[in-house]
Amino acid sequence: MKRTKVCLALILASIVLLSARPGPARPDRPAGRGGALALVRIPKTATLPLGTLVRLGIDVRQDLATCLLALADRDDMTMLRRSGIRFSVLDRNAPRPEYLLVETGLPGALDSLRAAGRAVAVEAGTAVFWTERGSAAAEVPAGLPSKVLPARSVLPYLRSRPAAAAAAPVAAVQDPLVESIVSLVSSSSLAADVQTLQDLQTRYASTTNCESAGDSLYASFSALGLDDVHFESFTFSSGYTSRNVVAEKTGESFPGDFYIICAHYDSTSPSATRQTLAPGADDNASGAAAVLGAARALAGYPLDYSVRFVAFSAEEWGLWGSRAYADAARARGERILGVINLDMIAYANAVPEDLQIIVNDSSAWLADLFAIAGAQYGVVTTARMIDPSIIYSDHSPFWDNGYPALLAIEDYPLNNPYYHQTTDTLDRLNLDFFTAAARGATGLLAGLAQPIRDGYPAAPARLTAAWETYRSLFNTLAAVNLEWDAQADAAGYNVYRTTTSHLGYVKVNDEPIVGTSFSDTGAVSGGEYYYVLTAVGPTGLESNRSRENAWRSAAAVPAAAASSGRTIRPAGPRGIR
Amino acid sequence: MRARRAAAFLAGLALGLAAAAAAPAQELSVSLAGGVFSPSSSAYRGIYGSGAVLAGDVWLKLHGPVGLAVGFSRLSDKGFAVAGDGGQETYPLEFRRTSVPVVAFYQIKVGPAALRLGAGVGLHSYRETWTTADLEYKGHKAAPRLMLAAAVKVAGRLSIFGQACCESIRTGRGTSLDVNVNVGGVQVLGGLSFRIF
Repeated sequence: MKRTKVCLALILASIVLLSARPGPARPDRPAGRGGALALVRIPKTATLPLGTLVRLGIDVRQDLATCLLALADRDDMTMLRRSGIRFSVLDRNAPRPEYLLVETGLPGALDSLRAAGRAVAVEAGTAVFWTERGSAAAEVPAGLPSKVLPARSVLPYLRSRPAAAAAAPVAAVQDPLVESIVSLVSSSSLAADVQTLQDLQTRYASTTNCESAGDSLYASFSALGLDDVHFESFTFSSGYTSRNVVAEKTGESFPGDFYIICAHYDSTSPSATRQTLAPGADDNASGAAAVLGAARALAGYPLDYSVRFVAFSAEEWGLWGSRAYADAARARGERILGVINLDMIAYANAVPEDLQIIVNDSSAWLADLFAIAGAQYGVVTTARMIDPSIIYSDHSPFWDNGYPALLAIEDYPLNNPYYHQTTDTLDRLNLDFFTAAARGATGLLAGLAQPIRDGYPAAPARLTAAWETYRSLFNTLAAVNLEWDAQADAAGYNVYRTTTSHLGYVKVNDEPIVGTSFSDTGAVSGGEYYYVLTAVGPTGLESNRSRENAWRSAAAVPAAAASSGRTIRPAGPRGIR
Repeated sequence: MRARRAAAFLAGLALGLAAAAAAPAQELSVSLAGGVFSPSSSAYRGIYGSGAVLAGDVWLKLHGPVGLAVGFSRLSDKGFAVAGDGGQETYPLEFRRTSVPVVAFYQIKVGPAALRLGAGVGLHSYRETWTTADLEYKGHKAAPRLMLAAAVKVAGRLSIFGQACCESIRTGRGTSLDVNVNVGGVQVLGGLSFRIF
């Protein structure tokens, strides 16, 4: 009898425990919705209501140039239809263990993909690929870049916004300090680092040689005296494990704000050889060496912002390392301000070679800054491409998590005949182009991270902006009121404003501001403005910039206020213009 | 602007004189008064409160108890812009309104007092200025005017004079405070009147 009671209690406890287990992973979804899941394609149209997708809780997993890919159940599909949002079903048996997005721009690519598993074209040059069982990543034909479908919804980071403005040349003054940092990036050390990685024969993720490459990078970063160097392990493609190598130089003014320079260190070659020979000099020992070069150059300089130097693994399997890293960073709520991803930056099919900078709309400013840094410090020409469908490198998981990121690559589409071949070796590389690209990237990173100069005031730590309006019977005066903390080494402050994040700052005060607030009446309601503040020391030396403070107005004020060229002088004791 | 106001005033004066010439004038008097203006718009009241008015009129009795009055008045007001969205600055404002009223009136004699009830039109020119900002708005409007005046003889040709006027001057412009600002209201004036003949 007693044994029966114990058995009953165990059975009841098991039922309770089983019923308490979470169901299939459907993050970002309200509970209680059911039905079989399908992978669907939602065409992007000019009128696609992103707000409706958010309201319906649609599990959007990938943003591409012409469509969104989402997991949807029957209820979702019914609501989409009722909302007038068109979609097509790609796979009725979702979720699979792995969906991969595969680049199919090359002739015959889609056919070879279909021979390896199930593949559905979702837009020109992009297909979704899966297999009925096992690892889809392992089945992707050699030479086809791939990306595993994000594990979480990317919908929170999609914004309805106009396309980024055309890249415009921005005049900027060369910074001697940044120039001296950049000069530490040498072609000899870049070549030596590529050789070291190439000498491992293969760095195909899942091989011990790849782990040795990680160890080598770890040792190199550790030798630089950075603040932190560690591995971050992750699992990929149904059970393999590998490690990202993460090195950090902590910022002195803004330690919680990060800029990242990264590259993958794994490599691949045709399936018959990749376990034993995949030298991957251009793809991507070149990027990893440039990251190492940037770390060497910056190691000895105190910086305002924190910088992380990250070498990812398992990129060639579908961006698994960067996905693990970016997802974890978002989960931790890390403030990553910009990501510079270097992938294949050393092969020149023509001389002079230019560097392609690939960004999405939210990251266009990074490409424009790279253009400036490339011209100033790398002597390399860059070409900006805004295309959210170019997702086959480690910048893409950062986009999926709402972080600005760029991909620097020698050509897109690729022109390297040794790509993913056993012949991708150091002797095929153009060291001048490689060095210029690495220096440009380092110059960009140094400019963003802001080296601290002796004898200069510190960068102001806090800047807040608030919209204010003042109305009379017939006019409205709109102003952005800026406030900051006083700092002991400052005799005054300068306020800079721009309408494009990080680019084209214009000083809005005539004389250094004495005080800790300023009312900028040059902003117009309905616009988007970015402000930075500098401190001016007693001898006139100007500090690095504060953190950028973005301000967006909620609504436009009547046109009477929208005149420009006004001279505004509040009667109160605060800001003076 | 000043020339336009002068022209309007002269036009009104010419109209009065023409009327006097066309009909045998029975009585001609002038008045000078000052007083307060109480705006009808709550937005106006919120910014400026009550204002000060100075006015001068020419009164012409034309036929029996009926007459015509032509005048000139000047409203002057000061206030501060209304801060929104947490604004903490102070922006002083000035409002000026110049009016040229032309009113037909009916006069009733009650002992030593003369009561005048009138209706007409006012030609108004107004300007709002931000004292410390380069913002200004100017406008013109004609608006109906109702008037009640009284004059009580005190000595010879001199009378104590009082007047109340009511005007609705919808400008058709404004801000979110009031999308169609009315710069009219009630003005109550007191002063002296002098009978010329």
